[in-house]
Parts: sequence; structure tokens; C-alpha cells
Amino acid sequence: MTLSMPSILLVGIFSLFGVGLYGLLAVRNLIKVIVALQVVVKAVLLALVLAGNLRGQVPLAQSLGLTVLVADTVVAVIGLALAVQVRRCLGTLDLHALASLRR
Amino acid sequence: MASTLILLTIGLPWAGAVLVWLDGNRRPRLQNTLAVTFSLAAGAAALALIAFPSSQTSFRLPVGGIFGDFTFLADGLGILLAVIATGIGSLAVIFSIDYMRGEAELGRYYSLILFFIGAMAGLVLTSSLLLMFIFWEITALCSYALISFHNDDPKAVRGGIKALIITQVGGLGLLGGALLAFSSLGSYEISELLKNAHTLPQAALAWMAFGFLAAAAAKSAQFPFHTWLPDAMEAPSPVSALIHAATMVNAGVYLLARFYPAFEGVPGWKTAVVLVGVVSALMAAVMALFADDLKRLLAYSTVSQLGYMVYAIGVGGIFASQFHLLSHAVFKALLFLAAGAVIHAAGTRALGEMGGLGSAMPRVRIVFITGALALAGIPVLNGFWSKELILENGLEHGPVWGYTLMLLTAGLTAAYIFRGVWMVFYGSRRNTHPLHDAQPAMQVALWPLAVASVLTGLLSGPLGKLFAATLPFHDLEALTTRAILIDILEAPATWLATGVVVMGLAAWWFRKELAPVFRFFLWLGSPARNSFGFEDFNRAVVRSTQAVADLLRHTQTGYLTMNVAGILIGLVIILAILAWGG
Repeated sequence: MTLSMPSILLVGIFSLFGVGLYGLLAVRNLIKVIVALQVVVKAVLLALVLAGNLRGQVPLAQSLGLTVLVADTVVAVIGLALAVQVRRCLGTLDLHALASLRR
Repeated sequence: MASTLILLTIGLPWAGAVLVWLDGNRRPRLQNTLAVTFSLAAGAAALALIAFPSSQTSFRLPVGGIFGDFTFLADGLGILLAVIATGIGSLAVIFSIDYMRGEAELGRYYSLILFFIGAMAGLVLTSSLLLMFIFWEITALCSYALISFHNDDPKAVRGGIKALIITQVGGLGLLGGALLAFSSLGSYEISELLKNAHTLPQAALAWMAFGFLAAAAAKSAQFPFHTWLPDAMEAPSPVSALIHAATMVNAGVYLLARFYPAFEGVPGWKTAVVLVGVVSALMAAVMALFADDLKRLLAYSTVSQLGYMVYAIGVGGIFASQFHLLSHAVFKALLFLAAGAVIHAAGTRALGEMGGLGSAMPRVRIVFITGALALAGIPVLNGFWSKELILENGLEHGPVWGYTLMLLTAGLTAAYIFRGVWMVFYGSRRNTHPLHDAQPAMQVALWPLAVASVLTGLLSGPLGKLFAATLPFHDLEALTTRAILIDILEAPATWLATGVVVMGLAAWWFRKELAPVFRFFLWLGSPARNSFGFEDFNRAVVRSTQAVADLLRHTQTGYLTMNVAGILIGLVIILAILAWGG
């Protein structure tokens, strides 16, 4: 099996996605969760650009990618702002402490 | 031209709604003026549409993708209901000037009513199933918000939520049917569905037919979804007259009439429609006989009369059902507005606390009795012509049991409405609340409706012609007014039914002499007051929903990692299904 450029990229994208997903599932610190989420979204972004390249629709993929990038930045900022508030209210960034909001 | 008028009919009330809202309750007089002006203008636009009937799409708004095109069309059915919605809407708004004087938050009241009028016109003038569903839900939303208008009253809030949930359950049937039509025809266009119904797979068509029947029953408060309408009577009286008597509850009947050509061949559908109509009409008439609240009595009567229209569609009498829809919209709006004037004066809705109000409110008495005579089906009033036409259709094309029960209902109708008239206007006074006759704006709304209750029977010919010319898929023939009226007068069924109506009146008149007979039927009273167990059923549904929700609460752990795991598992399942299925 010859390793073409796209398949190498695809392996990279899936590894990145897996790293992010592992972070989402395993990490308990809220800041780290936001970082993990960013990693997941970046993997998807790369997949988008790759798909555009393969289908010959580079401009479309680029514009979509930029849109995702902007939206994703907003998500990160709001997530971090929430993290600050969580720290203020609960005194910790532990995710399990957030479960106390349920009651 | 037609497309401009359609846009005006829908757009003017909505523009008015925004303007009234923008005033922010600072100038009630300005709000009154704006609401009346815009509703009257919409009424004028709808009336002008009568000159431009067409069976072709007037204009389309390409939305694209799975939403299809949003199309509008002014055919006979649509024009009739648009005129009723905007015309009676205008009168209800005029009536509100006096009825709602001094209320806080007039802006919210008027904008919701105007928003409703526009949505109702849109619902009947669109020819796209998806857009129809959207308008359908907007009217439900307005109805909910107006029932709960006095939102500091827990009963009003409860009634509103009940109406919203029950009509929503039926609305799912409409949405499902619309999506099914799109998936099999590739279009939301109603005419496409009517034209190609016979090419669809039987199963899909049956699902659509019964889904639409459920939607219609929920919207028109028919069995088994009838329980929301009596509780909706917490709304201010003009709202009850407009939404819960003259327009929104007709949407279900409209839906059945509109799609009748597509579904008449579905096995069992017509029988189901007849059954729904007969059971609703009879059961609601019995409940009205035992009602002790003026507005609830009228609400049961609305359910019963809508049952007549549904029954008419089940036996194939599309024209008869729409003719009765017109008559009913006029006389029931009249009855509700007159009841509003009574309630405004007497300060109560309980029939037991009224009595002897006639001498203090002679004008209201005259119009109320006019409406009552029309409802009972006394000759020359509009209710007589349309009800007899329905019964004639039922005798010719429907099952005998259906006809017999509807005949019995006609007698009960006369009995319950005259019991109501007697308890409100005659007998001795039972409270000392200072009374006043209808105020000027109320009279402006009441008199045209009273005159129309006498005269709209004469519209049968032009209405039939309009229908026959613009509804290519309905098998209708155009007769002149004269021919229709003479046909009704010469049918033996008419005089049989009139005899039953007179017997119903006599039963109330000689109630003292007949007391031993009535005592035999008193056992019906207690189940009728408890709506024959349907309220218990509703409560059981609510309780079991809450119990299930309490159980499912435990799956919400509040741990983010669990939620992410849940999303992942869901994704895997979906991918597995896709891989397996396709």
C-alpha cells in the first residue's frame, strides 16, 4: 500500500480528532475541556479543507472553513467566560462540581 | 391584482399589530383607532378578493431546498374563510373598544388579535402545505396567548396551555401529512396532491388522511379532542367570538373540505369522519343541556355545530358544510358578542346568577334571541337553510344511524339554547348588580351580525357558483339561490327536522309538565358535567407524562463527560443504521 498525501493527512486528522475526543471524555478541568473542544473543531476544519481540495472546490471549502473558524472562536471565548464565572461561584473548575447545578 | 389583495389581506393586520404594539399602551384611543382601521382595511381587501376568484396560483415565493415554494391562491374556499376571518375580526375589534375599556395592556391584546387575523387569512389563502402548517401553528399560538390574556388568573393560564398542547398534538398529524406528501410527490403544492392522490401508495395516503383528520379534530375541538374548547372560555368574550367560534375552530373543517377529493377513496375514512362528527355533535349537545356557565354553554354548542359540519363532509356535502360554516360563524359570533355584553353588564358568567336581565338590556335580548333562533334552525334564519341542507345530504348519502342521531341533536340544540335564553333574560332577577344595555361600539358590532343572521341564507347561490368555478377537484354543481332554497323547502327531510326542532322547543316550554320524563334522564347530568370522563383521561395522561419524566430525570447526571459519551454513542448508532440500511 502506497501512502498518498491525502491518506496521510486523513490519518493526522483522525488522530487529532481522537486526541480531542479523549480530552472531552477524560479531562475534568473546565479550561482543559475547552482546549479539547478546540482540538476537535480544528480536526473537523482540516477535514473540511481536505475535502474541498479533493473535490476541486477549494474556494468553497476555504470560505466555509473561515466561517467555522470565526464561530469557533466565539464558542471558545464564551466557554472561557463561563469558566471564569464557574470558578467565581463554585470556587473550583472541577466538572463534577458542576453537577450540583442539577439540583 | 389578486396577488396584491392577498398580500394586503395578510399583511395589513400584521402591520397593524406592529404599530399597536409600538404605542406601548401610552394612548389607548390611538390603539383603538389603529386596530379598527387596520382590521377594517384587511376586511375591505378580503371583500375585494371576491372579484378575483381563481383556481390558479396567484404568486409564488421561491424559498428553495426542502421548503419548496411558498404559494398563494384565492379560490372559493379560501376567499370565504378569509372574508369571515377579516370581517368578523373587524367586528370583534370594534366590540372590544367598549368591552376592554380601561384594561391594562391593550397593546398586547390588539396586536395578538391582529396577528391572529393575518395568520388565519394566510392559512386559508396559501396553497403550500408547509406554509399552511406554519400559519396553522401561528393561529394556535395566538389562541393560547389570548386565552391566557389575564395571565394573573391561574384558570386562564391553565386553559391556554391545555388548548396549546391539545391542538399541538393534532398539528403533528398535519406536519406528518405534509412531509409525507413532499416525500412522495416532491412538492408541497396542494393541487398536486389533489391531482395525483390516486397514484400514491395506499398506505401513505391512508396515513395522511387519518393524520389530517386528527389535526382537524384537534383544531375544531371534535371528539376525542373536544375538551380544550370549554376551558378556552377564560379568554375575553370578543376573543371567544372571533377565535373560538367564528374562525380558528373552522380551520379543521376547512382542512377536511379542502382535501376531501384526495381522501374520499381511502377505506374507512369517510365513516371515521361521520363518526367523529356525530359523536361530537350529540355529546356536546347533551353537555350544553347541563351547562351552568353561559360561555361554556356556547362553547359546547360550538363543538356540536362543528360536528354538523364534519358530519356533512363525511357524507360528501362539501358545499353544505361550508354553507353552514358561514351561517355558524355569523350567528355564533353574534351569540358570543351578545353574551359578552351580558357578562360585561352582569359581572358574572354563571347562568344561576343571571335571570330577568331582558328588561334592562332589551337590545341585547333582541340580538341574542335572533342568534338563538338561527342556531336552533328556525325557518328563514340562516341556520335553518344550512342545517337542513346538511341533514338532507346526510339522509341521501349517509348512514341511517348518523342521520337519526343528528336529527336528535337538532332537537337538543333547540332545547339547550332556549334554556340558556330563558335563564339569562327571563324569570326573576337573582343578583343586584347594576345593569346597562349594550354600549355604542358594542351595538355597532352586534347589529350587522344580527341582520346577517337573517340574510346570509340568500348567499347560497353565489357561494355555490364561486365554489363550482374555482374548485376543479371537488365535484360541485352550481345552483341558483332560488333553486337551493326551494329544494330545501320541498324536501320532506326539512319538515321532519323542523318538527324535531319544534319538539325540542316544546320540551323546554312544557318542562314542568314533562318533569317525570326528564327525571328519567337526570342520570346523564353528572357524567355530562364531568365531560363523560374525558377530563379524567386528560388528567391521567398528564400524570403519566410527569411520572415518566421523573423516571428519565435519573439519566441526567449533570456530568459533562457522560453527555459527550451519550453524543458519541448516538453517533455510532446512527452510523450503524445508515451502514446497515443503505
